[in-house]
Amino acid sequence: MDELIIAGRKFKSRLFVGTGKFASSKIMAEAIEKSGTEIVTVALRRVDIQNQNDDMLAAIDRDKYLLLPNTSGARNANEAVRLSRLARAATGINWVKLEVTPDPYYLLPDPVETLKAAEILVREGFVVLPYINADPILAKKLEDAGTATVMPLASPIGSNQGLKTRSAIEIIIEQANVPVVVDAGLGLPSHAAEAMEIGADAVLVNTAIATAQDCAAMAMAFKLAVEAGRLAYLSGPAGVSKKASASSPLTGFLRE
Amino acid sequence: MEKLKINGVEKEFSVEQFPANLAELLRYLNIEAATVVAEVDGRIIERENFATTKLSEGQSIELVRFVPGG
Repeated sequence: MDELIIAGRKFKSRLFVGTGKFASSKIMAEAIEKSGTEIVTVALRRVDIQNQNDDMLAAIDRDKYLLLPNTSGARNANEAVRLSRLARAATGINWVKLEVTPDPYYLLPDPVETLKAAEILVREGFVVLPYINADPILAKKLEDAGTATVMPLASPIGSNQGLKTRSAIEIIIEQANVPVVVDAGLGLPSHAAEAMEIGADAVLVNTAIATAQDCAAMAMAFKLAVEAGRLAYLSGPAGVSKKASASSPLTGFLRE
Repeated sequence: MEKLKINGVEKEFSVEQFPANLAELLRYLNIEAATVVAEVDGRIIERENFATTKLSEGQSIELVRFVPGG
């Protein structure tokens, strides 16, 4: 499989995995391993002073996986910038998945605040991977602002509805000069394969893996689907027609 | 009593108890410093500077760490 390159860094896997919602750190670690991923997302939250749980993320080998902090919980550009700076102080790396989601019901990203935050973070030397609605104009503006990727949503976060924004994502892919990572809402391996078949450079999956009955097996299913989808895209899919086109010869029939 | 606001909640310390620096506060709270990043009055403190960051009455401190997320 061809390599994915983001901000000059090479990846063999085109599947990002989110670490939320797993029942235990053991199940999470096993699923991450089976997914073949090289990029895992994490969030930043206040330490619970009264009740300190063990560090769920200790199970992740940071030499093997790139920890990609998100700015989830940010409701505007200022909050996202603050979270990004804290994340950089925590990881020592400057990659950030920029999310600004003021709407608690659909968790849809705020395009204006996302662009504002991206401009600030790029200036501060961050590698910015912005989570956006599937808006081709916004994707272009973010790319022009210097983001490392764009991450359009397939459908609302955690909804498992699949690639509802397909036609807009096709336009984003056609116009983008940075990797397009389809994020959010991919509920089944077939959804991930569909995104890869239309030319997405990568996908991010969390809920569909973390809430499956067998997380490790589902992680492997997504891995295979992403590889199959990429291979299909690179193979140049055959055209679609309304009428049948016989696959077998139309001569030499055994009839009068 | 001297106060610090920690993650939005006011905490009182006797004068003897009051942590001299950020590293001491984390020890007092039983928090593993290696997993934490801190802000004191809105200023980010790198982990290697926890021990040299002096605390004083009335400061607002945020202690954050990575948690699972998508």
